[in-house]
Amino acid sequence: MTFSRRTKLTTGIAGAAAFALLATGCASQGAASSGDEKIELSITTFGTFGYDELYKEYEKANPNITIKAENIDTGGNARTDVFTKIAAGSGLSDVVAIEEGWLGQIMDVSDKFVDLNEYGAEDVKDNWVPWKYEQSIDPDGRVIGFGTDIGPQGLCYNGKLFEAAGLPSDRESVAELLGGDDASWEKYFEVGEQYKKATGKAWYDQSGFVWNAMVNQMEEGYYTKDGELNVEGNADMRAKFDQLAGAIGNGLSANQEPWVWGKGKGFVDGSFATMVCPGWMLGNVKGSLESGGGDASTGWDFADVFPGGAANWGGAFLSVPATSDHPEEAAELAKWLTDPEQQVKQSAAAGNFPSTIEAQEKLAEDATPNELFNNAPTGAILASRAEGVVAQFKGPHDSLIQENVFGPPLKNLDTGKTKSADEAWDQALQLLNDLVVNN
Amino acid sequence: MTSTLNRPPVENSSPGTPRTTAKAPISLKHRLSAFDHKASPYFYVAPFFILFAIVGLFPLIYTFVVSLYEWHTLKGQGDFVGLANFTAVLGDRYFWNSLFNTVSIFFLSTIPQLIAAVIIAAVLDQNLRAKTFWRMSILLPYVVTPVAVAMIFSNVFGENYGLINNILVSFGIDPIMWQNETLPSHIAIATMVNWRWTGYNALILLAAMQSVPRDIHESAALDGAGATRRFFSITLPSIRPTMIFVIITATIGGLQIFTEPRLFDPVTAGGSQRQFQTTVLYLWEMAFFRQNFGKASAIAWLLFLLIVIFGLINFLLSRSIATAEGRGAKARSQRRLLRMRQRQARDGVRAGTAASVLSETVPVPGPADSPEPSASTEEGSTR
Repeated sequence: MTFSRRTKLTTGIAGAAAFALLATGCASQGAASSGDEKIELSITTFGTFGYDELYKEYEKANPNITIKAENIDTGGNARTDVFTKIAAGSGLSDVVAIEEGWLGQIMDVSDKFVDLNEYGAEDVKDNWVPWKYEQSIDPDGRVIGFGTDIGPQGLCYNGKLFEAAGLPSDRESVAELLGGDDASWEKYFEVGEQYKKATGKAWYDQSGFVWNAMVNQMEEGYYTKDGELNVEGNADMRAKFDQLAGAIGNGLSANQEPWVWGKGKGFVDGSFATMVCPGWMLGNVKGSLESGGGDASTGWDFADVFPGGAANWGGAFLSVPATSDHPEEAAELAKWLTDPEQQVKQSAAAGNFPSTIEAQEKLAEDATPNELFNNAPTGAILASRAEGVVAQFKGPHDSLIQENVFGPPLKNLDTGKTKSADEAWDQALQLLNDLVVNN
Repeated sequence: MTSTLNRPPVENSSPGTPRTTAKAPISLKHRLSAFDHKASPYFYVAPFFILFAIVGLFPLIYTFVVSLYEWHTLKGQGDFVGLANFTAVLGDRYFWNSLFNTVSIFFLSTIPQLIAAVIIAAVLDQNLRAKTFWRMSILLPYVVTPVAVAMIFSNVFGENYGLINNILVSFGIDPIMWQNETLPSHIAIATMVNWRWTGYNALILLAAMQSVPRDIHESAALDGAGATRRFFSITLPSIRPTMIFVIITATIGGLQIFTEPRLFDPVTAGGSQRQFQTTVLYLWEMAFFRQNFGKASAIAWLLFLLIVIFGLINFLLSRSIATAEGRGAKARSQRRLLRMRQRQARDGVRAGTAASVLSETVPVPGPADSPEPSASTEEGSTR
């Protein structure tokens, strides 16, 4: 799934996984809750959440609680799992991780989740960056999830390839090269052309992620703030699309398969020199480098710059379904797991970037060097990249539009099957009509 | 004590009563046994039918009910729309695209697969050394889960880093776009299916071949029939019921392909341009991406009908192929018989009988092979 994060080839066991989980999810739960009675809480997460140690810690502090944890390989499969169980009306865990990409769809049925205001959401609301907390509020003012992480985007780049192309390669100079605080897509593509001219190789991995970043940066994305679909006739979006199509035409896209990158070989063989990197993507890059046979010497680095300014991609929430037998204890667990102190530990384990202010400050302060990324202080850089991020309203079909409406025409541009931006845009509109408008 | 004292008088009391007193227990027994006789077979077969009703019939009917409504995956039941979902699906170009892909992959997989399975089974049917080893090894791919198969084959068929394209490029040939082009992607998926299922089908066919009586083969061999002749005239017709079974299960499986195309490109539902999106995959996209359960159910029903139609066609085809084979053989043997009789008749002419005029002139108009003239000669000669 292009939009949902942490997807890999090794992991596409969609249907089977969902059905298997359905079966296990139906298992009966512990007895009714009261006082010191033994309670079993189930929790479903996905991708790399880094919670294993925290579960143990929580069980130790609360001897009456046993945590039954389940982790689904990818966000896309987790979505199928959650949707299937909502449709079935049973089987959801006591705590469920929800990804920002499909939050819009969840908001359609937000009454299937417990209002966390009843369990003290108000008391901790100042923990989070304000936009993250606001994202979790449904149209009726109910809070349906505690934020775990966010996805501020920086730029992954390969220093060795930059050097070979005669470009500066240290983090500060690269940030400067791309325009520093005024970095724009124009500048990014311009440097890309320089790079292409010098090496004959592509500049970025594939166009889907770039487009995703471009759209996420806009004040309003595929939907207006009022929830109206706003693609056809959206001049701003069209201009960005043309800009991207131009860059593809100049050969800047490596046309790699997203989430797979040739089983990581794309990161090692110099097929592309840069990639847009939300915090959690660093984990994907790490995994790909390892499976592709690369290491710290491959030359990847992380720069404190992003074309077009601050942007966020993804991030998750912990929600408590209304079907939970122990909503109070479940909410308590979700609250504890998303507490700044625990978020710092989670970030250390999983490499993602926390959504609470205190945890972010801690990461910025520590500035722990990340060995794989040329010792870049990735936590501190992400904290800097998180500044100025504005949450965008996500409509019910946001991830569908990203993946199934804009995915195919962008792939066509990448492969060269479609040459002109006009044609590709028309394909997107046609798909939008077929899949969303007339669905 | 009391019972032994009391009983005899009851028996002796009157000759008429034993009937009635005896009737009560016997009739109950009778009724029970009659009930047992009539009902217990139904109880014995009931588990299957109850299970079928729960996991087969109910979902089938429920799916149909869902398909008559506007039904959002998450929000649930909406308005009743009658057959609108069906007409919408039938007018949906992606549905037809998925049908085309399904049928194309079906043909690319089922036909070569069955031919290969028959040949492999015929080879294994011979007297080989280490029989069990060969038989087990053809079944091995079937043991591997489709997920693993798909992962291995997507390495082989990768576009940028795949095994085949690496070899092609090293010979200076253009790499094949296994995932982005329609026909290559269908071939790649059909290969996965074939790899997994050929051995399984071969084993079933082998079992059928083993049950063909050896003496038929032997007598045919004595009559001078070669191996090929025996295969087509004895083996194939004898395994016809099994062939029908294999063809029908292969049809059902082939039209329901999901795992292989799903995992061939784990990021999209059947390729970025839907170039290998099968109908089941489209159904899945409809239900879980587009959240339209109503339409997804309509697709499921249309697919069900399609499979029934394909199954029927295949059933009729495989029946008629096998019977045509039998008919041909019969016709040939009849013709041979006739020719023999003609020769006898001619011998008779040379012997100088009055029938000579008739039997010599008749064969001239048509070739000896055509049945009608020879039939008339038969009549003539027998008279």
